[in-house]
Amino acid sequence: MNHDEIDRALSAEDGIVPSSGFAASVMEVVRREALAPPPLPFPWKRALPGLAACVCGIVAILVMLIASGALASVESSLAAQAEAAVKSQAGMIALALLTAFGSALFSVRLCRIMGRW
Amino acid sequence: MQLTGCIPGHTASVSASDDLADVEKVLAGDVAAFENIVRRWQNPLVNLAYRFCRDRGRAEEMAQEAFLRAWRALGSWRRDAAFSTWLFALATNLYRSELRRIPVPPLALDEVPELRDIRAGSEEQEDRDRDRAVRNTVFSLPPKYREALTLFYFHEMDVEAAARSLGLPEGTVKARLSRGRELLRGKLPRLLTTAHSKEVR
Repeated sequence: MNHDEIDRALSAEDGIVPSSGFAASVMEVVRREALAPPPLPFPWKRALPGLAACVCGIVAILVMLIASGALASVESSLAAQAEAAVKSQAGMIALALLTAFGSALFSVRLCRIMGRW
Repeated sequence: MQLTGCIPGHTASVSASDDLADVEKVLAGDVAAFENIVRRWQNPLVNLAYRFCRDRGRAEEMAQEAFLRAWRALGSWRRDAAFSTWLFALATNLYRSELRRIPVPPLALDEVPELRDIRAGSEEQEDRDRDRAVRNTVFSLPPKYREALTLFYFHEMDVEAAARSLGLPEGTVKARLSRGRELLRGKLPRLLTTAHSKEVR
């Protein structure tokens, strides 16, 4: 078969006529969606005072801890724990986390590429 | 913009200003104005879906979903492109995703309708059968070539329009069309020989 015959075969296609109720069924769905209430917005005005209070509370606690010197003992305990972690398998754990993150990133990119195709 | 020929019942020229007027009305809150858009574009969208899936019921479902997405995204139509371009691109993306999600099973060559008995049939019937066999063979092609061919012939062999609907550069579409036709030509002689040898026996 040559180029022209393929063109003729694929151009000469009989189309279909949509069923008589097609437009009506589309409009039914559209109207239903138009009548549905809009999604609720996040109540920022109500949430902001509470969020501000939390931040202030955390800051206040940190200031108190620093002032009382409790953080110094926490720091030394953290240093000891960090040393222990380094001596143990922390390196392998970090590598595993990095690999997991990398594979998640790769999967997301692959999905985007497949979506474009 | 003229849409004729392969799109039955759509012989009138479509006015871009009608589309713009209806879109403005819809965005202003007149839901009923969207029906004008649906009635104006239902033939092309259903036919495009049919070319993708070859199933009337599924074609209408996909076209309905395309209109629903158009309704939701109407505000995002930038007036720099024609409404038809935007609508066809939206519909094409949806149809491609749907076909990826639930593919049309490709016909094996021995399932493609055979040519009728060439001794008994008219030349016209033979041509129709051959054309149908060619169209069905397109479904055995890989999706990227099948989609390029489908859009190209839907848009009456307009590469630019097909490229805009697919969201691909024209060069890419041309390459896929060329490769698609090559693959089609490779499969068709086998089909026509098989059909003919069955008749000869």
